[in-house]
Amino acid sequence: MADSVFECRSAGITLPLRSGVRPIIADISLELKSAEFLTIVGPSGTGKTTLLRMLGGLAPPTSGAVLVRGEVLAGPPEGVVIVFQDYANALLQWRSVAANVAFGIERTMSRAQCNERVRDALNLVGLLDRADDFPWQLSGGMQQRVQIARALALRPAVMLMDEPFAALDAMTKAGLQDELLRLRDQTKVSFVFITHDIEEAVYLGDRVAVLNGSPGRIEHIVDIDLPFPRDQITTRQLPAFLAYRYDLHKAIGHA
Amino acid sequence: MRKLKDLAAHMPPVRGLLPLIVALVAWQVLQTGNSPYFPPPSTWWKGLEPLIASGRLLSASLATLQTIVAGLAISILAGGTLGIMIGLFPRVERALGPLLEFCRAMPPPAIVPLAILFLGYDARMKLTIVALSAMWPILLNTSSAVQRIHPILMDVSMSLRLSLLDRIWRVVIPSVIPAILLGVRIALPLTIVLTLLVEILTSIDGIGALMIAAQRNFQSGQVYGLLVFVGLGGFLLNNAFTLVQASIMSRWPPRSVNV
Repeated sequence: MADSVFECRSAGITLPLRSGVRPIIADISLELKSAEFLTIVGPSGTGKTTLLRMLGGLAPPTSGAVLVRGEVLAGPPEGVVIVFQDYANALLQWRSVAANVAFGIERTMSRAQCNERVRDALNLVGLLDRADDFPWQLSGGMQQRVQIARALALRPAVMLMDEPFAALDAMTKAGLQDELLRLRDQTKVSFVFITHDIEEAVYLGDRVAVLNGSPGRIEHIVDIDLPFPRDQITTRQLPAFLAYRYDLHKAIGHA
Repeated sequence: MRKLKDLAAHMPPVRGLLPLIVALVAWQVLQTGNSPYFPPPSTWWKGLEPLIASGRLLSASLATLQTIVAGLAISILAGGTLGIMIGLFPRVERALGPLLEFCRAMPPPAIVPLAILFLGYDARMKLTIVALSAMWPILLNTSSAVQRIHPILMDVSMSLRLSLLDRIWRVVIPSVIPAILLGVRIALPLTIVLTLLVEILTSIDGIGALMIAAQRNFQSGQVYGLLVFVGLGGFLLNNAFTLVQASIMSRWPPRSVNV
């Protein structure tokens, strides 16, 4: 594997809340390699979103350090983009699909270059024919694809995804999972993908990290050794898949 | 063409004017003679004719319209800017809050004497009063809409490394446009009322000045004629704004006017 993109060195976040100072995540040590798909799975209330916000530079660690390509993180790093779960609020309602995809790049690029990138990104997520519609005219799955396209238009090195498919129905979810794996192959982007769905974590991940407890800590990191390309039916029936699923359920404490 | 048809759907139906027309015809037919208080509708037009012929109606309409439009423009700019500052920065809200509450509670006509003292009898004074009073609904709508912008939208723009100015220009201002339009919806009739009121109070040129002059000269037909003219003008302005609002709001999800 190539060099690491992200590195957390016993990083933690403590927040002052009404009930007193509260540690949300603690002692996080993680490494994300280039072109790797890391999924983080854990029950709710273990600080998954906080961890992702920390990686995205939206919430600075209060202890330890986060390094991006060897440099200490200060604010949202270049080449790292977040895809949020709440697609309806993450998109700009008054902008067309194409203008939403251009949102991250329009300030720094010529019009022609920007349009080309928008076309490429929309093409990757299969929404080229909806470029002129408004987000609220699309289905939930399509809106989430617009958000993914907006991230892709930046040609990021890392995509941080916060339960991006949690609000979608099972069929849409399965389609987008495969799309994401295809995008990883085509673009060599690294992914940090947060989910509470253990099967999703195993299906997508090269590695699965388990976040558990309060404050949330990384309790296990499991290497997923399943064949590529992954397939919604056959991969999910492999004995190895079921074994990973079992182990992770046990690790989280649903035994 | 379809777009025009959609927009027309926002206009009130013309047949709604029927009761008014019936009432006016009844008035004309049932009138008894030359009542100084209730001149028949046929004399209203006669009262307006000299004003039209001398060009005074046109110049007065232009003066009034100018005050309305400029006053509204200033109140949108001032109310929008202040509203965004107050919504974005709690410190500004704390610093200006009590003063703004005080100014808002002041009845607009009450500042007319003071404004005359400071600015004299001119168009600037008219404009100041109109803009100062029409600003409030826009300011309040804007600041509360800024505070209701979804935090995720701010996370998105931080994560995409937008500067504060870019965030205001590309996220905050567009997000509050529906609220600003709603504020203008309330402010527009207010500017019309205040413009006429100031003109009537001060006799500075404008339709209001013509009305008070006609009243002082006991030309009751002319007073009624001007009243109808003003009513029509207000009706047209309000409907023109409805069209503008509808065409801008076509970019937002239907019924998403977040109040």
